[in-house]
Formats: sequence, structure tokens, C-alpha cells
Amino acid sequence: MERYTLECQHVSMSFPGVKALNNVDFTVRTGEIHALVGANGAGKSTLMKVLAGANPGYTGDLFLNGKKISIRNPFAAKHAGVQIVFQEVDTALIPSLSVAENIMLNDMIMNMGHQQLVHWSRIRSEAQKVLDRLNIQLDVRKKVADLSLAQKQMVLIARAIQSSCKFLLLDEPTAPLSDNETKDLFNLVLTLKRTEDIAIIFITHRIYEVLKICESYTAMRNGEIVGNFPITNDTSVKEIVEQMLGRSFEESFSKTPVEIGEKVFEVNHLTEKENKVRDVSLYVRKGEVVGIAGLVGAGKSELCKTIFGALKKKEGSIIYKGKELTIRTPSDAVKQNIALVPEERRKEGVLVQESVDFNLSASCLNDFCYFSFVNKKKITRNAQMFIDKLGIKTPSTSQKTAFLSGGNQQKVVIGKWLSAHCSVYIFDEPTKGVDVGAKKEIFKLINNIAAEGNSVLYATCENSEILAITDRIYVMFGGEIMAELETKKTNDKEIMYYSVGGRKPAGQQ
Amino acid sequence: MERTIDSQNFNSRTVFQFLLNWAAVLALLVCVLIFTTMLGKAFFSGPNLVNILRSMAITTIFAIAATVTMAPDGFDMSSCTLASFSAYIFVSMYLWYGMSLGMAIIVCILFTMVFYLVTLFLILVCKIPDMLATCALMFIHQGLGLWYTGGGAVSAGMSLPNGNPPARRGLSDAFMSIGQAPMIIIIMLACVAVAHVFLTYTKHGRYLYAMGGNRTAAKLSGINVTKYRFLAGMITAIFIAIGAIVVASRNTAAQIVGCDNYLMPSLAAVFVGLSVGGAKKPNAFGTLIGAGLVSVLENGLMMCSVPYYILPAVKGAVLTLALIAAYASKKEY
Repeated sequence: MERYTLECQHVSMSFPGVKALNNVDFTVRTGEIHALVGANGAGKSTLMKVLAGANPGYTGDLFLNGKKISIRNPFAAKHAGVQIVFQEVDTALIPSLSVAENIMLNDMIMNMGHQQLVHWSRIRSEAQKVLDRLNIQLDVRKKVADLSLAQKQMVLIARAIQSSCKFLLLDEPTAPLSDNETKDLFNLVLTLKRTEDIAIIFITHRIYEVLKICESYTAMRNGEIVGNFPITNDTSVKEIVEQMLGRSFEESFSKTPVEIGEKVFEVNHLTEKENKVRDVSLYVRKGEVVGIAGLVGAGKSELCKTIFGALKKKEGSIIYKGKELTIRTPSDAVKQNIALVPEERRKEGVLVQESVDFNLSASCLNDFCYFSFVNKKKITRNAQMFIDKLGIKTPSTSQKTAFLSGGNQQKVVIGKWLSAHCSVYIFDEPTKGVDVGAKKEIFKLINNIAAEGNSVLYATCENSEILAITDRIYVMFGGEIMAELETKKTNDKEIMYYSVGGRKPAGQQ
Repeated sequence: MERTIDSQNFNSRTVFQFLLNWAAVLALLVCVLIFTTMLGKAFFSGPNLVNILRSMAITTIFAIAATVTMAPDGFDMSSCTLASFSAYIFVSMYLWYGMSLGMAIIVCILFTMVFYLVTLFLILVCKIPDMLATCALMFIHQGLGLWYTGGGAVSAGMSLPNGNPPARRGLSDAFMSIGQAPMIIIIMLACVAVAHVFLTYTKHGRYLYAMGGNRTAAKLSGINVTKYRFLAGMITAIFIAIGAIVVASRNTAAQIVGCDNYLMPSLAAVFVGLSVGGAKKPNAFGTLIGAGLVSVLENGLMMCSVPYYILPAVKGAVLTLALIAAYASKKEY
């Protein structure tokens, strides 16, 4: 069989303010299963999108079998034989149509020509043929909406194979799957390699999966390729993690020590309704900053939101100072003095259309009211106090929050909770999209919040931040807590080891 | 919407923004100016001003109801059909069952609030989008209302659907005065004032606007969004009932689908009012301006002997222009 090679040379890709890919050389050949690994923001997805034609602004050259090609749109990518299955399978499927139509979608859109009628029996039989080839048991007449997530993924893979595919890119395919479903997927991938003789590129955070199924891997770091390595029986998770991380980060922030008191906030066996968080138990002491580490999609945000009542919990209890709290809605949580600084600041944190002073009082407007009538003066005074205290840069208290910078908006969100006198603060990626200076100030704020005797939970995928600000760390993976670490006694590599699903060595609990 | 203030474009932009913010007021002034030059004293006179205020009163009251619903980003297409139903109840309580005027008013308001629970049940419990739920309810209101009256209007001198004679023969002066100047104008201004104070100066009003701006953020700030959507609905129901009472009094009867036609001008009034003073959200004062614009246009065009059957097109054009102003400047997210 003929071998195909897809080669990137000196590929770079910039987004406003960031260089997502920097002079990347990457080669893949048909007939191999190749893994692409790297921490969050290393550029894996960006590179895949370049190959799939979803990033038309790249610079550099692409070669197919040594011949220069240009992939500026998804159509060109398909023409070159590159098919991608994105992590969010639902974005690529049409739930109201049957399995057969979804598998044959490319064919129905691109190869119909002047033909006006749909040839149903042909569509179904061709779709069935593809499924047979892949050894997938699935009724082609079934509606996609009725399928499980794993089955939907198979439909997408079948669609990719149906239209001449030479390079199949799988972006985090196993993240939402159960162990059994993962095994099925691996079997499918092995079948594909054997019978179709195509290249499969696997992007994953689950390093132990890489060891199981891939023959070689490419590690990426900060938009650059670290290197290409074969996978042998001697390759270990630890070795791959080291390639992903390289030198350790140095954080300029130094935490001022805070006296840590007794246990005040406890979460026991918390499980989210859709199992996005499973059996999580943790506690926070007075004055303590506890980190929740883990990669994107590990369930950190979901954990924060479940505690706060924004996601429904299935089981578990939340205890503050020995008393069990009933939290069904965020409104309940706020009444119990729990605060959440959410990840999506503009969507969930601030009311961008409202003024700074209203935002700073939104969670405790009652305190500024006289028989339900808002006392504007009190609100302004409160706002002025927090503007001074937190160093929020705004021309006036009545400025619309939309016009503030990201860091200042985040300070407004934090100020909102400070004026509500909360005692448990949950931060979910509070430094996302803020510049270095503002980041440092936010750290200082969090440090002060803890020093005043409050309890803080700090969720982030940036390990350097976790190491700088916290006292203790829980590492999450797949919705569960994998490890509890003492910040002073741990390091970046250990956190990463657990973040990618590494297990504790036997006998060390 | 993210805009940074750029010093170079600052002046032209502020002028443009100013014009946009006061476009509705300017349009109102321009209309008055044009009609005055064309019609002279016949248009620009005390009696005609009262005329205009009287004709805009009903539109304004329904528009205030819509304003309160739309503040937390809700929507109600069935407000005016419900008002027709409430008007049947109001007049029938007075004529058929001989209730006092005050009692009939109270029953009418309570009925509207209770019936509005159906609307809120569909929206809050069944989670149907506001637009679709109220669209379905329009037909339910119309059908149930006519079933109640036996298919006809409720007016003086007519017997009950079961053939019994009504308890009262006619309407009292007090009943009729509700729909006449100055009472009708006072009611309108009172509704605007109450809605303005509620939305601008109470924490409940601020919460409703917070929800309208960003429901997720409002919820995560600890605002009980379901409770406040319910509250907005109940207040809307009260304004709908007031509208129904005024319409019935003005028509001296509860006519078949007597209020249904006020939906479109009242929505137009709210959308025209959105941008007034740069509020960028449904607000009571803007709504009053919007209703004024619609009524001045209607009044002036009538006087220019434009046939009455073309007027819906004019009102529709105002609504369309207001919608363009509200949506065309929106940036895609």
C-alpha cells in the first residue's frame, strides 16, 4: 500500500497578544498511531486546527508527500485526506437526523452534484458498509440524539473514514468516556490502523493511554515542539511528563504566611448530578488557601459550581463550622456567606451593562436599602471604599463595568463578595485573561482574604499559581480527587503526574 | 459590547451617541413641528394635546406592563388578550352581578393576577421560552374569554348568557369617568411614576435589570432569578388589569377582543423607549416617550385626513425602526 506523509515546516500561528505556534516542524506518516502531548496552552489544538483547515492564518509550509499544499479551509483539509474529530462531538452532529445521514453527511453535501433526490437505500447501505468495515454495531436508522456519547464519537469516526481519510486527528477522544468505552475506542483505533492503513494522531492528557496504544509521541511546550520520541516498553509516564513541563516556572509572588486555624469548611462525598464531580471530599481550615489543581476538563469548575449550588448535586454534604448547609441554588449559598468568583468573568461574574457601584453591591443590596428603596449614597460610599481598598482603576463609581480592563473587572467581582462579608471564597481561574501586574494584585488580595480568617478554595490549571498561593492542594482528574498534597513538599512535576491520571504508587497513601 | 474611548474620535462619537440616545425625543419633537406647520392651531392647541394624552394613555399602560416584563429579559405577547378577558370580567362583575365599582376593580385585578400564574407556570416550571408560551396563551385567552361572555360583548342592557336579566341596567358616571380626561391621564402618569420608582429606586427593580443584563451572572451573584421573574410577572398582571379597566370604561363596554389591538403599539413604545437617555434597557420614562411618539403620529396623520385603515402600517413602521435601532448596532458575540 502507498504511504502518505504529511509534513509541517516552520509553521507559526499568532493570535492577538499570543504566539500560539512558534516555528513548528511536525511530520506524520500513514500506518502509525502518534500521540501529541503537552500542558494546557502548549499549542496542541492550534496545530491540529491548522492541519484541519480551521486556522487559515498560519504561516509556514505544509507538504503532502513532499508536494507543497495549502490548507486554508476545511474543504482543502478534507481534499488532502485530513479528517478531525473534535472533543465536543455534539457540535459536529445533527441530532435530529439518523445515523446513516450523519455518517454520509459529507457525501450528501459535497457529492450530490445536480442530483436533487436523496437515494435512501444507497445512503443506508453505504453507511452500513462503513460501520461493518469498522466493526461497529449500530442501527443506521436510529436518531443520533438517542445515542450515547461514545456511540456519537464512533459515528463521527465513521464519517471521517467514509470520505477518503488518510490522517485522522482525534482531539481528546477519551476525556468523556468510561473505561469500557475507552477500551472499545482503542480497539476501533487499532482496527483502523490495521485495515485502513491510515495515520491516527491522538491528542490526550491521559498519558497512560499514550503508553498503551501509541507508537511514538511528540511533546509540545509553549507553542514549540520539544521533540519526537518513540514509545518503547521502557517509556514511563514520568518521562513524558518531564518532556511536557521542561524547566520549572518561577513565580514572582511570595505568599505572606498566615496563621492557620481549625477546620471550618468541609465537603463530604460530593457527587454532581451528571457525575461531572464524583465523590469529592475536602476541607478548608481557617485562614487557609486550598488549591484545586488539574487540567482543563478535570472537573474543577464543576466542583466549584456544585458547592455553590449552580450545578445540582446528587449526593454529599457541605459543612460550615460543624453545621450542615442546605444549598440548592446560588442564592442559598450567598445567604450562607459562600462566594464564587466564576471562571467566565464577562459571562458569569460581572454585570457588564451595569455601573461599578451597582456591581459592588449586587450581592448584598439589602444592606444598602431603606424599606426596599436603594440608598444611592450608601452604594457610592461602599463602592468608593472598595475602589480605594482594591485599587480598582475606574474614572468614577458610576462607570459602566464593560469599559474596565479584565483585571479591574475581576477586582470588582472580588469586591462584590467582600462587601457581602462572605467567609468562604471560591475562586475559579481568577487570573484568566488578566495581565501579570493585575495577577499579582489579585494574589495579594486572596492572601489578605485568608489573613482575615476566611477560607479560600482556589481552582486553576496553572500549576505555578497553585504553588505560589496555596497551603494545600487537591489534584483532580476525571471529576475525582487523585491526591492531596502539601504545597511546601510538592512540585510542578508531582502535580502534573496526578493531573494526567497517574496513580499513587502502592503502599503510599 | 466593549468600547475603549479613543480621544481622536471622541467628539464625533459623543455627538453621535447623544443623537442616538435622544433619537426618540428628537423624533417626537420633529413630528410635532411638522404637524404644527402643516395644521397650525388645529394640531398645536390645548384641547388637542389633551386629545393626544388621552389616546396614548391606554397604549402607555399596556406598554408599562410590557416594560416590567422585559426588564428581566422576559416577553409577553398575550398581555393584551388577557386584558380583553379581564375587561369581560370587570364589566360583567359590575353589570351582571351588581358589584360596586371598587369591588369590580379588585376582582378584576385579582383575576388577572391569578390567570397570570398560568403564564408564569408555563415559563418558569415548564421552561417554555416566553415568546412561545405567551403565543399559545393568546388563543387560550381569546377562546376562554368569549366562552365566559357567551360569544358577545358585555355591555349595558344586555342579558346574561343564561338568559337572566343583569343586576344593573347601566353604567354610573364614576364608571365612565375612569376612561375620560383627566382621570385617564392621571392613571397613566401614576402607572409611569410607579413603574419608574419601582424599576429605578428599589432593589427589586435593580435585580430585574441585573437579570436582564446577564441572567447567569445575576444568578451566580446570589439573586433568586425564579422569584424575581415571578415578581415581574405579578406586577405586569396588575398593570394589565388596570389597562383592561381603563379600556372598558373608555368604550363603556367590554367589547369583543377590545384590547387585543394595543399589543403592537405598546411593544413599539417599549422598543422606542429602550435607548432614551442611553438607558439601553426597557425603562418607564422611555416607554412614555415611545407611546407619545406613536400617538402624535396617529393623531397628526388622522388630521391630515390620512385614511384610518393605513395607520397600522405607520405604527408597524415605528416598531420596525425602533427594532432596527435596538438590534442593528448590536455586535455579534
